Amino acid sequence: MNAAAPMAAAGAHERRALGFLAELSQNLALSLDLNDTLRLAVTRIADFMQVEAASLFLIDRTSGLLECRNCAGPVDIAGLKLAVGQGVVGRCVAENATQIVRDAQRDARVNANVDAETGFVTRSILCAPLSTARGVIGALEVINRRDGGLFDEADAEILHLIAAPAALAIYNAQLAEGLIEQQRIKRELALARRIQKSLLPKRRRADFPLIGVNLPAHETSGDFYDYFDLPDGRIAFFIGDVSGKGLDAAFLMVRVASLLRAAGKHAPAPGAWLEEVNAELCETLQDGRFVCVALGQYERTAHRVTLASAGFPPALLHDGAEFREWPADGPPLGIVAGIGYGEQVIDLGARALYLFSDGATDVRSAGPDRLGSAGLRELIARHSGLAPEPRLRALLGDLKKLSLVDDTTMLLLQEPTGKMAHTLLDLTFPARADEMRRVRAALRGALDGEDVAPELRDRLVLAVDEACTNIIRHAYCGGEGETIALHLAREQDMLVFELCDSAPAVDPARLKPRDLAECRPGGLGLPFIDALMDAWELEPAADGKGNVLRMHKRIRVEDG
Amino acid sequence: MSNTNNECVSETIGDYVLVRLRGEVDLSWSQQVRRAILDALGRTGKVGVELSQVSYIDSSGIAALVEGFQSARGKGQKFGLVATSQAVMAVLQLARLDRVFPLYPDLDSARSA
Repeated sequence: MNAAAPMAAAGAHERRALGFLAELSQNLALSLDLNDTLRLAVTRIADFMQVEAASLFLIDRTSGLLECRNCAGPVDIAGLKLAVGQGVVGRCVAENATQIVRDAQRDARVNANVDAETGFVTRSILCAPLSTARGVIGALEVINRRDGGLFDEADAEILHLIAAPAALAIYNAQLAEGLIEQQRIKRELALARRIQKSLLPKRRRADFPLIGVNLPAHETSGDFYDYFDLPDGRIAFFIGDVSGKGLDAAFLMVRVASLLRAAGKHAPAPGAWLEEVNAELCETLQDGRFVCVALGQYERTAHRVTLASAGFPPALLHDGAEFREWPADGPPLGIVAGIGYGEQVIDLGARALYLFSDGATDVRSAGPDRLGSAGLRELIARHSGLAPEPRLRALLGDLKKLSLVDDTTMLLLQEPTGKMAHTLLDLTFPARADEMRRVRAALRGALDGEDVAPELRDRLVLAVDEACTNIIRHAYCGGEGETIALHLAREQDMLVFELCDSAPAVDPARLKPRDLAECRPGGLGLPFIDALMDAWELEPAADGKGNVLRMHKRIRVEDG
Repeated sequence: MSNTNNECVSETIGDYVLVRLRGEVDLSWSQQVRRAILDALGRTGKVGVELSQVSYIDSSGIAALVEGFQSARGKGQKFGLVATSQAVMAVLQLARLDRVFPLYPDLDSARSA
């Protein structure tokens, strides 16, 4: 196709075409109802090009066929379907090239059937493809010049130009539709996810021996866990993994979780508990779906767990040094009706029992290899110094850094060891005011890691900052070369901030927070510490060289 | 000061001086803030401190503000805090100074006070 003549030399014909093109483009761009606009556009194209019939074909994205969407002329061929490559239109799309059929009666490309059915005599055809960034999406066809002549190159060029804005408008409309649909699906999945999340048990107080975490790999999860108190004081728990993915796996997950909970309320022995639910699922599960479940009851006074597992990955018992595995007692639920499940009794003591869905071991580390059971044990061992909850959180943190392939759910059963404090921050820094910004940032990070609420976090940072500047100003009296050691530990829900300096011993008796009622510029540090911390004490360092300021703050763990 | 996010700029608008602070106001540069406020009070009788960009302020920062307030009061000058950030407000409340300083939501209201 040769380039059109430059504007300056454009004849009346070209100017008319440009005018039409401009108007068409504008109408399409401003169109609120594209279908309507296209219908009108096809009519106007027929008028402008002085042809007897015009039609617009689009590729149906599901069937892959070309379908006539709009037409103008004596024969209504709306809805007519063609395969790509079939007829003039099909060929135009297949080759992404304008087709000129000067003499339709004698051209092999023409599909004579339509004429035969409708009585319309096709003399001459012109067809231009609708090209977009995503390839050809359809074609624009015009038939029979009204003046009886045959279509020529000039006509072809004009049709080619007209096709462009039409293609663009349709493409945009399709993109918009696709986006809306995507958003809708996203919203629905998000809703499903929220519902699933709401079904997980609420976190309990810090001294509760069970902690569960769930990391979905996709929008919805096939994993679940739950725990609840039994009337006799024991704690019942279960963790499960539904086969498959997607929304139906999510639905099944909800159903199985309900079944397990209902059946568990009357505290059957774990083996019988699995058998009850298995019976129900074998009756109603379809499509080859199955569920892996591990469940049991925990007796707190005796520290005894009774456990049964249906196809679930082996439970891992860890005493800080050795690991011991407890494999499943039978196949997943929903496969073999009437099968019997055994159970295991474990004297937990102070040890930790880990139950995790296979998402955890399927996690991919740097290479293509699975983390595997050995890899998971290594991660557990790495954090064994932490108290149960921070340990599980750290484990999850490690897994998140690797790539999740599947939903990952873990249950940890362990008696919380009250004395176990763990360090959140250990920082030694020069005792200079310009160091404090960095110290504050580190402290904020450590507190964020403990999910401390932002307002409380900021107040604690302020308190520590004040304490440090007091040391800088009054203990060291601005001397150079000295350091402060900041240590932050957590024991259950108590935060302990410790500041050590090597300045001459400060007489604690001299430290009296002043009355805030008097408006004075200085002396605000101690009142801040007093107001913000639950308690604080200052004492000489153990080796006599320096001071230790200890501040305590209990952070509330949300109940329910 | 190596922390490039901190800033203290005094702006003169007619007979009003606005001291704009930005960043984390702590002991490392609160003296600079103090001097800026006192300088402003030396030049004019209407001073405000703009605090919307202050993400942190410690007792030494508060002390600089208090000193400005007291100095102004002693000389019959006007001194107020403009657009205090959430962070600054929290600390003012802690120090029971939130009812002491005149507080203005924006420059216009501060100037017309």
